[in-house]
Amino acid sequence: MLKKGFFILIIFNFSLCHAQEDSITKLPINHYNLKFSYLSSLIYPGVSAGIEFPVIKGRFISADLNWYHHPDFHDNVYLTAEWEMRRTNKNGIISEFSFGPGFSRTFLGGTTYRMNDSGDISVVKLAGYSYAMITIGGGFGIDFYEKKKLPFLAIAKMNLISMFPYNSTIYFRPVLELGIRYMPGKFNKN
Amino acid sequence: MRKTVFLLFLLLISGCQKEKISFSEDVSEVFYVDNAGASMRVLVEGNTKSNTYILVVHGGPGVSSYFYNTGYITENLENNCAMVYWDQRNAGASQGNSNGNNMNLDQMVLDLKKVIGVLKFRYGQNMNLFLLGHSFGGLITADFVTRPDCQAMIKGLIDVDGSHNYPLNDTLTRQMLLTVGQNQISQNRNVDKWDPIIAYCNAHKGNFSLDESLQLEAFGSDAETYIDSVKQISIPSIVLKQMIPDAYPLTAILVNLLYSDDTNFNRELSKAQFSQSLKNVTIPVLVLWGKYDFICPVALGEDFYTRISSSEKRMVISPISGHNLMFQDEKLFCDEVNSFVLKYK
Repeated sequence: MLKKGFFILIIFNFSLCHAQEDSITKLPINHYNLKFSYLSSLIYPGVSAGIEFPVIKGRFISADLNWYHHPDFHDNVYLTAEWEMRRTNKNGIISEFSFGPGFSRTFLGGTTYRMNDSGDISVVKLAGYSYAMITIGGGFGIDFYEKKKLPFLAIAKMNLISMFPYNSTIYFRPVLELGIRYMPGKFNKN
Repeated sequence: MRKTVFLLFLLLISGCQKEKISFSEDVSEVFYVDNAGASMRVLVEGNTKSNTYILVVHGGPGVSSYFYNTGYITENLENNCAMVYWDQRNAGASQGNSNGNNMNLDQMVLDLKKVIGVLKFRYGQNMNLFLLGHSFGGLITADFVTRPDCQAMIKGLIDVDGSHNYPLNDTLTRQMLLTVGQNQISQNRNVDKWDPIIAYCNAHKGNFSLDESLQLEAFGSDAETYIDSVKQISIPSIVLKQMIPDAYPLTAILVNLLYSDDTNFNRELSKAQFSQSLKNVTIPVLVLWGKYDFICPVALGEDFYTRISSSEKRMVISPISGHNLMFQDEKLFCDEVNSFVLKYK
């Protein structure tokens, strides 16, 4: 069941990539933005890097690779494909909302042992779990191109990631994203 | 370049899972035990040089072992022994995928046996190991010690407000709510709060359904807050105090608790009881109980105490405690546990 779920997610991911390919052919080759973010849940750090492609005005498809470290609990590496809706006012203030599917692989925060029925104990290498994900998020930022003609925007976003099936239920984790987006397309216009 | 990044990534992740086994007076290390679809977190904290370990079997189902690792216990128990905080399956920081079907008492006892196996593998087969069961953890430990050969794995058992017999537990909770409630009303204390409890107990007299059992438990939890001599504790304040230093995975603890609370497992548990087989218990036993524990009344502790065959046994009742003696009467708890462990290790 889980394998089927991941397969569908992967197909969905590829179909998104394919879809963006079609629209990109109508746009300049450098019409994409690069994303770099610091991720944080309370005091637990993480980072994220990704790329976003405009589909129509104010609508983007993005793919991100994310990681966070929660000591003694797990490290989580997850790939997300998101639909982003962004609005920018004349002062460069932006608001953004995003959601999309993802795939997560956790790595448990300690040596993991398995004991068989005869009492033999072995260490499980790279112990952890794979989960399907849904992410949703929203935030505010500043587009520096509007006022200063700089090809950057800065954003603070609150994301809620959900992972499933997690112990037969759904795991939620709020993640604060503090990021910058580099927009090489706008840089070339300067 | 790609290869280097990949190798760096693997190194980073494997660094997080690096094996760490320490023998010193101030150890804090985490490992996981993987069994039947669950990876259960185990934190070992304290003096591993002492070769004496107390394995905490937490309450619930679904309550985490994180809450038991208080500052007072760290300062007053972990100097003399190592505390082992085990998150049961589907609880605390334990992780897995679709593993709800494995959530049953038999599986949890098997989990416990494997946790003990791994503990001995890491820290030595000749360790002095004690089990400490609290509330629902008392049901797991009662099941464990009444199975053949299991007692040989441990030096002694500490039962703190534990439940070894759920049907009897419900009957005793109802009786205690009625007796104490009527007494409190006769003294004109919290009459408005006791009235609905008494009415409910009078309307529900026995052969309790799961809903009735949960309602009695909820009344029991409230009732100890109506007694002036009981030291009140605030779980939220414990969480707020410890969540950053102990790196609580808060949302995992919460979703696990909600799942465990709602699972069919509780329906199966409502019939679980080990009173008849307690006569097989011969290891040293310490029974600690709160006088005003309505959730697991003192009479339940007395039933446990009188049925076991251990020649080395002791029962202590705290006059200022309800269902959480280790938090409500910390000094008595640590003093009693320390002397028990020192005597029988």
